[in-house]
Amino acid sequence: MSRLYLLDIPENEPILAVARTIAGAEVIEVGPYFAICSSDPISIDRRATGVRHAVWYSWVAGLSGWRISQWDKDALTVADR
Amino acid sequence: MTSLHDEHLVAGVDHAAFPTFDPAGTVRFYRDTLGFPVVHSICAAGWGAKDHPDFIHFFFDIGNEDRIAFFYYFGLEGPDLTQGAGDVYARFPEGTADWFVRSRHLALHVASSEELMEYRRRLDASDWPVEMQIQHETIESIYTHDPNGYMIEFTRALRPVEPQEDLDANLTIDALVEVVQQPHPTMDKLLVRKAELIVQRAEKWQEAQQAAVSDEVRR
Repeated sequence: MSRLYLLDIPENEPILAVARTIAGAEVIEVGPYFAICSSDPISIDRRATGVRHAVWYSWVAGLSGWRISQWDKDALTVADR
Repeated sequence: MTSLHDEHLVAGVDHAAFPTFDPAGTVRFYRDTLGFPVVHSICAAGWGAKDHPDFIHFFFDIGNEDRIAFFYYFGLEGPDLTQGAGDVYARFPEGTADWFVRSRHLALHVASSEELMEYRRRLDASDWPVEMQIQHETIESIYTHDPNGYMIEFTRALRPVEPQEDLDANLTIDALVEVVQQPHPTMDKLLVRKAELIVQRAEKWQEAQQAAVSDEVRR
């Protein structure tokens, strides 16, 4: 299982809400962080989260197993390394 | 070892100092437009070295007993502002990216939207109107340039900083310091290293926080 980490702060809640709907993905707590875990690479649609740019371009706290293949105004997508 | 050895001792900005070639404009901006009191000045006839010009060192209160200070040197010519970018102290070649030129600036804190808008009102009625007002999820800021070309920001936080944000900042910085000491630092390398630090430290941090809260409750 690869992981994307994000910090537990109010601004990240809409991103977590979208992450929890991804088929095959699981959200776990690691201290004050959340980890979005999945065997398959995932993609998160920015508009689905409703977050604006300051949060969108700074919400990823850590990467384990994946690399980021797209991080723009439309989506954040990861790929296997 | 004294009782001070492990303490974080400093208490804010005594003064941040900048040269000016336009002291009249500088006083109009900081004192007459923004309402920052003049709180100190020094009239110095040179300073030892033969070629050192006479100068005035003058200070404005920026709140919290912190100060912004200027040096005006009699007879010193300012730079040519018709070419390139930047301020009277730091000039950059024509075509230097705005985001880089603006990356060095002074941000002053205000407590509320009302206070931020009061500074906006004062600036907009002056020769130095607000150039940008930005609100995003965590802060709201206004920006202008003073008569010397120094970028000045007024900013307010939309919510208090939470304790886990300090942990996150420390993990970022520890990862950054490691990554920049290796060849070809990238955001990817930083995020990979930070994930390792999260695994090592985040749960221990939370247990320590919870223990501290329990201690507080017991008292």
